[in-house]
Parts: sequence; structure tokens; C-alpha cells
Amino acid sequence: MRSYLGIFKMEFKGELQYRAKAISGIATQFFWGILLISLYTAFMNTDEVNGFSISQMASYIWLGQAFFVMRYIYLLPNTSEQIVSGNVGYKFVRPIDLYNQWFSEHLGQKMSATLLRSPIVIIISLLLPSTIGLSLPVSISAFLLFIISLIIGTLLSVAISMLAVYLVFKTLSDRGAVTLVSTISGLLGGIYIPIPLMPDFIQNIVNYLPFRYISDLPIRIYIGNVGISDALLHIGICITWLVIIILLGKILIKASAKKAIIQGG
Amino acid sequence: MLYRKYLKNQFLSAAQYKLNTFLTAFAQVIINVGEVLAVWMLFGRFESVGEWGFYQSLLMMGIIYTSFSFTECFARGYDEFSKLIRTGQLDRMLIRPVNIHYQILGSKIEFSKIGRIILGITISVIALINLNADWNFYKVLVLIATYICAICVVFGIFVISATISIYTIENYEFLNIITNGTKEVSYYPINIYNKWLTRIFTFIIPVACFNYLPLSFIMGTGSLPQWLCAVSPLFGMLFVIPCMIVFNISLKKYQGTGT
Repeated sequence: MRSYLGIFKMEFKGELQYRAKAISGIATQFFWGILLISLYTAFMNTDEVNGFSISQMASYIWLGQAFFVMRYIYLLPNTSEQIVSGNVGYKFVRPIDLYNQWFSEHLGQKMSATLLRSPIVIIISLLLPSTIGLSLPVSISAFLLFIISLIIGTLLSVAISMLAVYLVFKTLSDRGAVTLVSTISGLLGGIYIPIPLMPDFIQNIVNYLPFRYISDLPIRIYIGNVGISDALLHIGICITWLVIIILLGKILIKASAKKAIIQGG
Repeated sequence: MLYRKYLKNQFLSAAQYKLNTFLTAFAQVIINVGEVLAVWMLFGRFESVGEWGFYQSLLMMGIIYTSFSFTECFARGYDEFSKLIRTGQLDRMLIRPVNIHYQILGSKIEFSKIGRIILGITISVIALINLNADWNFYKVLVLIATYICAICVVFGIFVISATISIYTIENYEFLNIITNGTKEVSYYPINIYNKWLTRIFTFIIPVACFNYLPLSFIMGTGSLPQWLCAVSPLFGMLFVIPCMIVFNISLKKYQGTGT
């Protein structure tokens, strides 16, 4: 456990070095935030959609922007490079579990990048007028559940990234497979468009899949679109998905690591 | 003549990595298909936005996908100009007795973009079939001009981002707002956005000229005079001229990044 904590800390500190990158990243996030809110306001045309109001939509967008790094599925360039080039062999030799090692690397990078960016986006968007800005959470209990589900969501996001690692193992390319996973998860997880704005029949499908639990659930608990008792039920489902996907990832990566043949000397 | 040699070399090098080129193209197409599905879902919920429906938006996507990937394919050198500066390749280019623009164009030709170009054309065709516009000769002419205008504007934006990177090569993500921002704004007829965004993307970066203005003419709608909408793509094409002038002036001031 201590060695994984060490890996986590290293990634965390490494990311904190890139402050300039974070600042221009924040500027980018603001541009997209304003653009998306303007776009969906035009679509919603001052109406509510199944109890999803324009000011809730604005909060949905800003929280999405603030936690963008956490909810977006990507692989650290190092990871895919090592697998494609074969340098991953060095990792096999180490006496620590491959899956846990990658998991802690990704978690560390995601958390530090999020902690670096999100406070500024949140503070500034809280100051904007209510129809285009971020509102306060509906209640203290909703806020606490938001934090809990956000942490589980981050773990879920990393667990799904690990499935992408497995696909890189299989295809030996960091392009097609990772993009496929990240597009599916983005589309069905509410990154491309907020899930409450999807047609009902698609929402019925999306609600059974794991992707919405990454960020859609925490955000909707925060804005009060999902009530407290529903939230508890959904957090339970989310934990179940998390366990299933971690186990699946572990089995798959272990199997392909066993089969991997490291060529050359 | 020289450009043909560049083209041949770049093609041969892409052909060496067939699988890689194919997978890259595949990955890019997946992203765009995801975006089209997202827009389809949004119109599935709301049916229309302002005066526009799904197929009008789809045509806008078709136009920007086709023109953006076309420009990326052939003018990637401007888009990745900061790379030319950082590696010192630009300094080497400047001492050669060949026009610099020729060399920048030839420095990178990305054949993997062909996947996206094909997708863009496919989407455009699907949209045009379902658009229910009363076609005549002038509308076809305006439509063709619209695609050319879109290529000119996107090229102009690449040149602007290259110009900025002459002065600073740090702000990579900021340059991203200009190029990708322009791209994603034009997925929809842009007059649905709030006034300020619409103004910026009409008068500063003339996205409107390959977006809702020609669309209004083709659909025969809108409050603006029809002739103005019809000639708007021609105005949009002019955008590339000031961009090129500023770029050339800035390049004269370029002092290199060191040894």
C-alpha cells in the first residue's frame, strides 16, 4: 500500500509543476462554459425539461467544466507509450501489482489536475449571475452526498481508463481503442450533452450504464435534480459498478500481462 | 512543381505506416460520429432551435468537418507552427531560396485527415437530401462558394495562430480556443447563440459567412436581405488576406529562438 501511495504522491506533485498549463486550461474551460450555456439556453428557450431549469443547467455545465479532468477518460501518455514500445517489461519485474500501479498513477494525476483547476472555476462561476452562473448546493446533505459520489465517480473514471489500458495491450496502439472508450463514456456519461437534455428513451438506457455515475450523478445531486433518498440508492449502484469494473480490469490486465512476450534484450 | 514533390514524399511516408495512418483516421472519425450523435440527441429532445432543425445543423457540421479537415490535411504546417519554431526548422527554411509559404505547406501533409473529409462529405450529402430546400442554380453556386469560404476562413485562423506563436510559443491551449473554438461554434447555425458570441463570430472571425448567412439564402428564410446572404461567402473569403499580411509582417520581425 505504501508504494502505491508513493506513486500517487509523485504524480500529484509532478502535475502541480505545470501551473501555466493550468491557467490557460482554466481560460479554455471558461470559454467552453459560456459557449455551452449560451447554446443550451437557446435550445431550452426559458422552459424547464422534466424539472431541469436553466439555472440548474448552468450549474451542471460549470461543475462539468470544473471537474473536466476527473470525468474525461484518457490515458497518461507514459502508460500507452510503455505498452506500445515494450518498456512495460520493466514494470513486470517490479514486485508490485501492475494494475494497482497504473491505477494510482492515473488517480494521482487526475486528482492533482482537478484540485489545481476546479477551485478557480468554481469560485468565479459562483460570482456570475444565477441564470448563467453556478448556484449553491440545494442543501448541506446534498453537498455531502455530492462530495461522496464525486470521489466514487473519480475512482470509477480511473477504473474505466484501466479498461482502455487493456485495449491498448490488445491492439498495441494508443489511438483507436482509447478514443473509442473515451467517446462512448463521454457520450453516455453526459459530457457531450447533459443527460437531462437527452430524449427520454435514451435516458432510460443511459441510466442503467456505469458512465453516468462518473459525473452526472454527483452534479445532479448537487443541483437537487436527484433527491436525497434516490441519491443514496444510486450511490449504492455506483459502488457496485465500481467493484465490477475494477475486478474486470484486474482479470483482463493480468491475463494479457501473462500472455505478453517481451521481445529483444 | 516543388509542391508535388513534397506531396509525394509525405504520401510515401504515410504509406509506410499504413496501419497507424488508418487507426488515426478511425479514431478521429469516432470522435466526430460521437459529436453528430450528441447533436442528434439534442434535436431529439427539442426538435428545433430558433428557426433551425436537425438537418440544418447537420449541414453546418458537414461544412465545417469537410473544410476543417481539408485545411488540416494540407495546411497543418501553420497549425503546428510553434513546433517549426521550437525545433529550429523555421530558421532553416528561412535561409532556403524558396518561398516560405511553399515550405510551410509542404512541411506537413496529414493524410489521416481523409477519414474526416469523407465523413464531412457524407454528412453534408445526408443533410442536403433531407433539407427540403427549393434548389436552383444560384443556390448551388452559393453552396459551393460556402465550402470554399469555410476553407479560407479556417486557413486564415491557422495563419493567425501561427502568427501568435511567432511572438509566444507558450500559450498552446489558448491557441486551441481560437482553432477548436471556431470549429465547435459552427456546429450549429451561430445566430442561436447570445448576441455577443454571434457578433464575435460574424465580424471578427467571419464564421457566419459559411454558416447561417448562406443557410438563410438556401432556405429562403431570415430577416436579412437575400442578396446579402448570397454574397456573404465572398466576403468571408477575404478574411485570409489580412491574416496573411499580418503573418508576413510578423515573420520579418522573427529573430529565431537561438542556436
